[in-house]
Amino acid sequence: MVEFLQFTLSGISFGMIYAAIALSLVLIWRGTRLLNFAQGGMAMFTTYIALEVIRHTGSYWAGFAVALAAGVVLGAVAELAVIRPTLGKPELNAVIITIGLLILLEGLAGIMYGGQFRSFPAAFSVTGLKAGSTPLGISRADVFVAVAVLAAALLLAVGFRYTSAGLRMRAAAFNATVARLSGIRVARVITVGWALAGLLGALAGVLVSPSTFLYPNSMDSVFVLGFTAAVIGGLDSPAGAVVGGLLLGLALSYAGGYLGSQGSDLTALVTLGILVVVLMFRPDGIFAGARVRRV
Amino acid sequence: MNSPAGAPEGAGAQARGPVSLAVEDLVAGYGEVLALDKVTITADAATITAVLGANGAGKTTLLRAISGMVRPRGGRVVLDGTDRTGRGPEDMARAGIAHVPEGQGVIAELTVEENLRIGMMSWPGLGGRRAERAAALADAYERFGVLADRRRRLAATLSGGERQMLVIARALMARPRVLLLDEPSLGLAPRVMTQVMDMVVRLSRESGITIVLVEQNARAALAIADRGVVLNLGRVVAAAEAPALAADVALRHHYLGF
Repeated sequence: MVEFLQFTLSGISFGMIYAAIALSLVLIWRGTRLLNFAQGGMAMFTTYIALEVIRHTGSYWAGFAVALAAGVVLGAVAELAVIRPTLGKPELNAVIITIGLLILLEGLAGIMYGGQFRSFPAAFSVTGLKAGSTPLGISRADVFVAVAVLAAALLLAVGFRYTSAGLRMRAAAFNATVARLSGIRVARVITVGWALAGLLGALAGVLVSPSTFLYPNSMDSVFVLGFTAAVIGGLDSPAGAVVGGLLLGLALSYAGGYLGSQGSDLTALVTLGILVVVLMFRPDGIFAGARVRRV
Repeated sequence: MNSPAGAPEGAGAQARGPVSLAVEDLVAGYGEVLALDKVTITADAATITAVLGANGAGKTTLLRAISGMVRPRGGRVVLDGTDRTGRGPEDMARAGIAHVPEGQGVIAELTVEENLRIGMMSWPGLGGRRAERAAALADAYERFGVLADRRRRLAATLSGGERQMLVIARALMARPRVLLLDEPSLGLAPRVMTQVMDMVVRLSRESGITIVLVEQNARAALAIADRGVVLNLGRVVAAAEAPALAADVALRHHYLGF
């Protein structure tokens, strides 16, 4: 029972990181029907920036803030510089360009920072928390991970639901034609979507790096899991992204915990298994909306 | 003064007065196909112009070219004496042109009220004061009572007639000076269609909105229009006062099918 609790809590903590990546993918998908393969690479790059800032200032929070800001800038610049020109061309062009962007960022990080594994500090203590004498299997840092992503997701949800900018984003995502005819500058909305996605990715990078180490490819596997989480949840649904991330985090944590040392080797297999099962029953993901407009 | 556009005194189209819309030698098309071939149409301020013709005549493309959804290859779109050719739909909306496209004009995933709020996105500045927006919403609900009862529901749950009401109500939230209506009566029950047509007349007569109405139902359109324009294969084949067009038996038989 104690084991179960431990696996659950650590699963939630990791799941929230996948959720953050999934959420960033969903933001861009909803606006442009494009899967941003560079999302992990962007997150890796902003985490290097955070590491530099932390080293120079000695302040974790300065690095944290700069990483998020860099994510916003990187997202917006990527959209304006390389995605915007593909508008009106075959969709595959943009997809290939995001893959190119990923390779560019990883190569650039390799040139600038080298390929070695670097440790990245955590926001809070990584020593395990205990309830009485029972170890909970998670640390303060893990709690912070879950709280930070949850806060970001809630802020986004509230912003989407209750603000004028959020309504513009939803209108542009659901029906760009009507949005434009109503005077909404959809191109600008899409740039904002990329900026927000960049911010979420940067958050995920900073949160996951204490446990994965930081190197030019360090976000690749996190990206794959985040992508899986987004597909499980339904690429159109922000809520689905969070649920998908949690589901995946929990499943991987149980697999790793109960199956012992083989468990962690089974990550890819378990991920694939979940993906196959979910898509068998819900081909558009768990939270796929009713198809009301494609008639 | 309760204006159908839902505009408080001193704001929007009414304050600026009715405007005219002119299309001169407009050429537009898709790929190789030319949908509009030197089309010239003048819609005087605060009048209703019916654009008639068979499927594929270029009626919808004409509206799309005016509202900026299709970039014209030649010719001019002139609003109130100002050349607006080649502007995107965002700018056209801000210039006072509201285009109600055929069919899927509501955003089904949003609530009725959210759809209406989208209508105010083209307001100048940061979208007006909160109180002004609330007043505009209240006005719309007063005019379209059926929407007031359903304001928190998703637009997907509305019937065809209610959706058409919502689309027109949203277009009016923008306080347009020119309203482009594409087949507003399509798929509506006769009684609802009559309501829509009555409303179009009131928008023109009482609110001074210049209306361009594309209709398959030529008889109904000519009954309320001031002028009629008949398109065939992308060209204007007739343009006259509405009663004259309706009285032209040969033209009716040939192009309008009644």
